[in-house]
Parts: sequence; C-alpha cells; structure tokens
Amino acid sequence: MNIIINNQDFILHQSGAVFWEKEKILLISDVHLGKVAHFRKHGIGIPNNAIFENFARLKTVLELFNPTTIVFLGDLFHSKINNEWNLFVQWTKEHSQKIILVEGNHDIISKQNYSDLNIEIFNELEIGNFLLTHHPTEKEDFFNFCGHIHPGIQLRGLGRQFLSLSCFFHKPNQLIFPAFGEFTGNSYLIPTEKDKVYAITKEGIIEVAIN
Amino acid sequence: MNREELYAIAEKWFQDQGWKAFPFQTQTWTAFLQGKNGLLNAPTGSGKTYALWFPIVLDYMKKNPNYKTKHKPGLKAIWITPLRALSVEIKQAAERIVEDLELPLTVGIRSGDTSQSERAKQSKKMPDLLITTPESLQLLLASKEFAKTFANCSAIVVDEWHELLGTKRGVQMELALSRLKIVAPKMRIWGISATIGNLELAQQVLLGVNSEAYQNSVLIKANINKKIKVLSILPEKMDSYPWRGHMGLHLIDEVAKIIRRSKTTLIFTNVRSACEMWFQAILEKYPEFAGDMAMHHGSISRETRLWVENAIRNEDLKVVVCTSSLDLGVDFAPVETIIQVGGPKGVARFLQRAGRSGHQPGKESVIYFLATHAIELIEASALKKAAARTIVEDRIPYLNSWDVLVQYLNSLAVSDGFYPDEIFEEVKNTFCYQNMTKENWNWILNFITNGSQSLQAYDEFKKVEIEEDGRFKIHSRMIAMHHRMQIGTIVGDASLNVKFLSGGYIGSIEEWFASKLQPGDVFTFAGKRLELFRVKNMQVLVRKADPKKASRVVSWMGGRMALSVQMSELLREELYAANTDKLTPELIALQPLFARQRKESIVPDTNEFLIETFKTREGFHAVFYPFEGRFVHEALASIISYRISLLSPITFSLAYNDYGFELLSDQEIDMESVFDNNLFSTEYVHHDLQKSLNSTEMARRKFRDISVIAGLVFTGMPGKPVKTKHLQSGSQLLFEVFRDYEPDNLLLQQAYIETFEHQLEEGRLIQALERINRQTIVWKQCKKPTPFSFPIITDRLREKLSSETLAERIKKMTASYMK
Repeated sequence: MNIIINNQDFILHQSGAVFWEKEKILLISDVHLGKVAHFRKHGIGIPNNAIFENFARLKTVLELFNPTTIVFLGDLFHSKINNEWNLFVQWTKEHSQKIILVEGNHDIISKQNYSDLNIEIFNELEIGNFLLTHHPTEKEDFFNFCGHIHPGIQLRGLGRQFLSLSCFFHKPNQLIFPAFGEFTGNSYLIPTEKDKVYAITKEGIIEVAIN
Repeated sequence: MNREELYAIAEKWFQDQGWKAFPFQTQTWTAFLQGKNGLLNAPTGSGKTYALWFPIVLDYMKKNPNYKTKHKPGLKAIWITPLRALSVEIKQAAERIVEDLELPLTVGIRSGDTSQSERAKQSKKMPDLLITTPESLQLLLASKEFAKTFANCSAIVVDEWHELLGTKRGVQMELALSRLKIVAPKMRIWGISATIGNLELAQQVLLGVNSEAYQNSVLIKANINKKIKVLSILPEKMDSYPWRGHMGLHLIDEVAKIIRRSKTTLIFTNVRSACEMWFQAILEKYPEFAGDMAMHHGSISRETRLWVENAIRNEDLKVVVCTSSLDLGVDFAPVETIIQVGGPKGVARFLQRAGRSGHQPGKESVIYFLATHAIELIEASALKKAAARTIVEDRIPYLNSWDVLVQYLNSLAVSDGFYPDEIFEEVKNTFCYQNMTKENWNWILNFITNGSQSLQAYDEFKKVEIEEDGRFKIHSRMIAMHHRMQIGTIVGDASLNVKFLSGGYIGSIEEWFASKLQPGDVFTFAGKRLELFRVKNMQVLVRKADPKKASRVVSWMGGRMALSVQMSELLREELYAANTDKLTPELIALQPLFARQRKESIVPDTNEFLIETFKTREGFHAVFYPFEGRFVHEALASIISYRISLLSPITFSLAYNDYGFELLSDQEIDMESVFDNNLFSTEYVHHDLQKSLNSTEMARRKFRDISVIAGLVFTGMPGKPVKTKHLQSGSQLLFEVFRDYEPDNLLLQQAYIETFEHQLEEGRLIQALERINRQTIVWKQCKKPTPFSFPIITDRLREKLSSETLAERIKKMTASYMK
C-alpha cells in the first residue's frame, strides 16, 4: 500500500517494513532477534525454526525493494548476546546495504558489537523533516517514525463479529510501526477521529474504517 | 499385640467418645492391618478420617511393641488433601487419637501456607504423620535425597480422591505414587472418595493398572444413605422472573425468609463474583444481618477464610455466602440450611452441597434451589429426580497428559536426577500413561534435554543435562529454582494481591480486572468497598472507599461448567414433560413462559428437534435446541457452522448454553440448504471438527494451561513480583509459534486431543447427532426472540467461525474511535 507523508511516497509492506522511495531507505522496527535463543538458553523450548523466519522475512523485503539503506527503529536484538547474534553477523556480511540502528529499550548489548559490523547507532535520527526514533516522540515540524508499542487494532462488525490484527498506526504527525519480528506480541490501540489505521493481513495491507 | 487387642484399643476409644464404630470403619481397619491397599467410599462427616488414621496408628503400635518408651523418628504416614483448608481438621483428628492413646507421634502440615522456617525444620526432621497437598508432595519429590525421607513410610492416604480424579492434579498424584511405590516399598496406598459413578475405575487409577498394589486391594463402601429434600424457591408471581441468567437477586426476599427461619444457612453461588454480589445485596437490603454474615471464596485471604470456617463451627454466623471453596471436607454440624443459587450443573456436586446440612445421623438434608432465570427452573425439577434416584456422574481420568509428565521429570531432575529406563517402567504402570509408547517417551526426554530439537551446533538450549552414567539432572540453580516455583497443575490468570495502604492483606484479584481500574476507582471485594490507590509490583494498594462513590464488583475469569450427561438427560425428560399433564410445581410455575414460547414457536416433544430463526438489529440468528449440555453444544455449533460455511463464504459468531446453541451472522442463513445437504450427518464428524477453525481456538485455550504446566510459560511465584519479565511470553504467542514451526510437538497435539476428548466430547457429539437424525426437525421462522432463545442470544462469551477472507471481513468491519 502506498501512502504520502509530507509529499514523500512510502510503501507499507505486510511484513511491517516501510520503503521510503526517494531515499531508498527500508524502515523496520522491533525485530527482537535473539528472543527465541534467549528463551531456549533458559530452558524454555521455543521451536528453533522460528529464528529463521526473521531472516526469511528480511530476505523477502530486501529483494522486493532493493534499498540502499536499512534503518532499524530499535529493539533489533532482544537480549544479551547469544548465538542468534552470530546468525545476524553472518547476515550482515552477506549484505552490502548501509545499516543504521536507532536504539530501543531492548538494545542493551555493547555498541562495540554494532560498530564492528559498521552499523551506525543513533539515539534518534533526523532525515529532512522526518524524525526516526524507537519510542513515539513528538517534535515540532517533524513527522515521527517509531516503533516500541507493537500496535494492534480491534475491529467489530454486525453479528457480534470481532477481529484483532497487527497494524500501522498513523497519527497526524506520527507513524507507529508494527513489530517485524516473529514471536512478538501486540498491544491494542484505540484510534481517534484524526488517526488512520492500516491493518496487516498475509495478503496485504488494508485501511480500516473508523467510526 | 495381636489384631484383637488392637481392635479393643480402637473400640474402647470410640466408646470413650460415646460413639460406635461403623462397619465401614472396622472393615477398613481390618483390610489395612492385613496389609491391603484400597479405596474407601464414604461421604463427608461420616467419620472417614478415623477409618484410616486409626489403622495407621494401630499398625505402628503393632510393629513397635515398646512404642511408649522408644520412638523411632521419621515419616510414617502421609495424608494428601486437595484443599489446604481441610488440613487443620485432619490434623486435629490425628492429634486427638495420638494424645488419647499416649503415643509419642508428631503430626505436621506442609502446604503452600507453611512458612519457610517451618519447612526447613521439617526437612531436618519430618513429623511422623504428615498432612500435605498434591503440589507440596511433588515439591518433596523435587528435593535432594527425597528417597530417604520416604523410605520408612508405611501409608499414604489420598483424601477426596474423586475431586482429584479427572483433573491434572490426579495425574500428578498418579506419578508421585508410581515413584513412592519404589522408594517406600512397605507403603500401603489408600484413597477416600465420595460417591461417583465409576468407583471401580477410581480405585484402578489410584493404584495403577494391573499393578501389584491393585491386585492386593479392596473397595469398601460406607453405604450411608442420606435423605435429601430439594425445594425450589418460587416467587409469588412468575411475571417478574427474568428470561436470562442473572444473579437471582429478584428472590432476595424469599431468601431472607429462609435465613431467618434457620440457625445457620450456607448460600452457594457458582462463581466468585456472584458470591460478592449476593453478599452486598443482602447487606444493603437486610442490614440487620450485618453482624452475623460472612463470605467465603477462594480469592479471599486465608486468615479470613479460616475465621469464617471457625465461626460456622462455633455457630457464630447466621448466613455465609460461599462458592465451591466450602464444598469439601470441613464438617459443619451447625449448618441447617443450604441454598443453591443457579444451576449446579452436576448431580454429584449438588448432592454433596445438600449433604452439608443436617449432619446428625438419620436427619434429612434440605437444599433450596434458586433458579436465576426462568428456564433454569426445569433444572430444579430435574435435580429433584436425580436426588430421588441417586444418579451420579462419572469422573473421567486424563490420559497421556504430557505436560504433567514433563513437569514431573523436571522435578526428578532437580532432586537427585533420574535414570530413564527405571522411570519409564514406573510411569508406564500408571493409568494415565498406560498407552505411552517408547517413541512418546523418547520425545519427552528429548524435549527436556534438547528443547525438542536435534542437537545443533548453534543451539544453546539448556535445561536437563545427561551425565556420563546416563543420569538426567538439572544442574543450573536458576532453572531449578524456576522449576520449583512453578510446580502445580492449577493454572489461573495471573493474580495480584490486594493490600491496604496501611498494611493488611485482603485477598487476590486477577490481573485483567486490575488492569481495567484507574487510581481512584472504587470496587467491591471481600465484602469491602475499596478505592484503588495504585498497582505496583504485582500489588494492588487500596484504601477504604467513600461509601457514596459508585463501585463495581470484582469478577474472575474461569471456565463455565457444563451439564453432565446425566443431568442433560434428566433435563430433556423434564422439558418434554411440559407438553403433558404430569407437571411438577416448577413446570406449573413456568406455564406463563411456555405460553409465550408457544405463541412464537413450540415447546418441543421427545421426537422433535426445534430450530428457530429470526432477525434483530444484531444480525440474523439461528438457534438450535438439542438440550445436550454446553460442551456438546459447543461442538455441535462448531461442526454445523463449519459445514454451512463450506456452502458459501460466511462468518458466524457462536454462542451456547446448556439448552441449545446459536449461529449469528451478518447474512441470512440458508436453512433450506442446511436440510438439503444433510448437515446433521454423523459422517466425517472427526474430520469436520478438526477443520472447523473453532477447534483451533479451543485448542489455543487448552494450550494455555499446558504451556504453563510444562514450564514453557514462566509465571513466577503467585502474588510475588516477577523479576523475570524477560522470560515471559503470552501462551497465545507460543501457540502460534508451535503451530507454525513445530506442529508435531506432543504438547501442542495434547491441546487438540484435550479439546476433542474433554471439551468437545466427540463421543457424546455423535450420539447427539444420531438422536437429532431420528427426530423430526421443526423449523420456526419467528418474528422476534423467543423465551427459550433469550438466554443464549444475550450471552456475550462467543466463538467465531468464518469462511470469508480476512480482507472481505475487514471491509465489513470498523474500529470504533475514542469518544
């Protein structure tokens, strides 16, 4: 789905990634790499194969959009270093794109790890009149891209029907990204009249009617 | 000392109390002293405690002739009780015998309420007679050198076995017993059970299939028949009777009259929130009861509960509003009257509650039934029949509960470790795991050692490690600690302790309820009006609220009970009687309702299957009435809606109660095609059930408990702040990850099996479909909802089923914005 913000074109993808056409930047939030391995290390047997889904998704969106830069909007790595980090290291070696991390609350591993991989780290990042952060942030004259919340939406319809879905949550001056990572949950938001909500389905993105 | 002399001691003791031993008591003594195991079928308040404490003590005297001077320390007998609340009473009974016979035996309790220091003391020196719960017993099996502790134990008694059977706590007991049989070879195993339909099976489950213990066992029945009288509370005028489930508060004046007439009345409600509401309602309308009234349910602090129990015994209370928390054990002689609010769903439960009154031998027990909505009155007359015919239900034991096995093996691994070949044989001899294959076993072992993956270089899974000599052991202290905290099979929503700002623990409420409260909100809990100050560190801090402020009553999640097979049959029988002239007082009272029902529709006969359709502003309703009980309706709704959804894309919301089920859709349902396509067929039932999305939803909920029991979800200590947030994940999320990446995981499969066998009751479903196929279908197109349909269509707990694409559905739906 294509949307326009501040006269710039963006493509929202059902994986939770956004492609910024003019800048050729791929924006991704809350991957939470290492979460599965972290649980396993503590004796909780989450299926190991879930680890590879994150990399498979990255592959899909990279092939689709062919960006020059990837910006992670925080919570890239879920926990302390574990073997999933090695898989990520391997992955970065196979890719030539510039990688930027806007730090999130989960990103607690030493920055050295990232700089060793030539990943630039920012607390927040300004590109034109866009402000990229992990936590939702308001700054005058800026449009904010952020994550952290893992937004979801609950819908209702005739016949007592209900649905809960992950979504992009578009406020007047902010776009909150859904979590990209497998094995991450949602928190459900209630929109106001001024908000737009783009629900994620396997087939594509659908704008939700709000009443 | 020979047996005659021992009996003489026991009988003299009975005489001294002014009692005479019942035949079932002496029979139990004899069997026990002969070295037999067994199951004793005796009701509460019949003296069952003395039937088993006595032979345990006599056996000790027999084996230690100089018992008065020489005391051998160490654990001699274990008494398992499912409810902590009962342990005090059991201890008192044991102490009474020990003191009167001047034995140097000590009696101790070990349960979740036992302090750390007390536990430590016990670990150093076990009491001679130990009263404990299934969970605390598991914890003992998870401590170092447990085999030594039990080595000289001569008896284990599992009290209220019927309550454990048919639950995973029962499975936990089966496993514990399989181990104890080996480490304590001299131990006799005894169970005590109230009357259930399958006592012989209960005996086999307790002792193990084809085991030596079972071969050498007896079933002793107390055969104490109690007269039970069931009375319905009917209003003077039926017009005011609500059509749908409420709290039954419209009958409060009638209840007050009953309370006034008797010394002590227990009012049983089915859920805790109803308990809170009734307490408030009586307090407000009849403030004169205030000083003589109390409330008792599982979420109230233990101190309060104990106080209430004592007050009942001391005849200090006129009325107690309670839930199933007062169902078991405790013998309340002063209780004269029982009121049951709302359908009790099962005959056994109802009779047990009735039995709480009139404890004096030969005295008739009276129980009042208060139907919360009109149709429930039919249940009342069905219950009367049940009581007259003493029909009781079976308790169906679990099979292949892999979650409990995983927990058990982890427990053994944190204690001294275990050797799989040895444990395999023990586990295989239990009832629950009798059909376990070597392949299943190896999967479980692999799950606890490799997290169900094959060894891969990058994998860091760590839990149980295999030592060089083949011993399975948990070495990590942190994992061991986490495991010990989580032992148990009762899974509730995360609960938060409620405390006064000034200190003082009131009880616990569930997290989801707390999350709906804002500071300053007022809620009613444990009969108090409380104002929320703040929620912090898993604690809900409150202060006394301004009495003028509006408040809401705390509610708890928790499954709804469904009618048992026996009850559903009686219920149908009663309902079909409505068209005859053999009317019970309840059916006569219901005449106005039947008249309304007949105006729009019919009251079906034995050979009729009623379907009603109508339209409201919510959409198109189709209500079906098989009268088969909630669980069967859940399955029927699932399967019929699935079959309809195959004909054309459609989305349903499903609701059900004990009488029927409803399919609600935004589109009109083509009934003609339902009949033309023979959608009530018994063919492909299993396949269709599995395919219906609904079963996935149910399996998802089953998986919630399974994942907690198997240790996949770390919940931390109940009520203690969790410092391990980084290891928490919702079971929803887990379910999806397993479904997508490891569909052959046994724990995931167990969720589906439990759905089909315990929840959807496939066997009963097929029988129901066969019955429907023999009946004539009567389809009534009504203009508006009928009295029969009303309780169903107003139910807000619903399932969904859809064959439309997500995109189609999203387009028809909306998100409401904040106003």
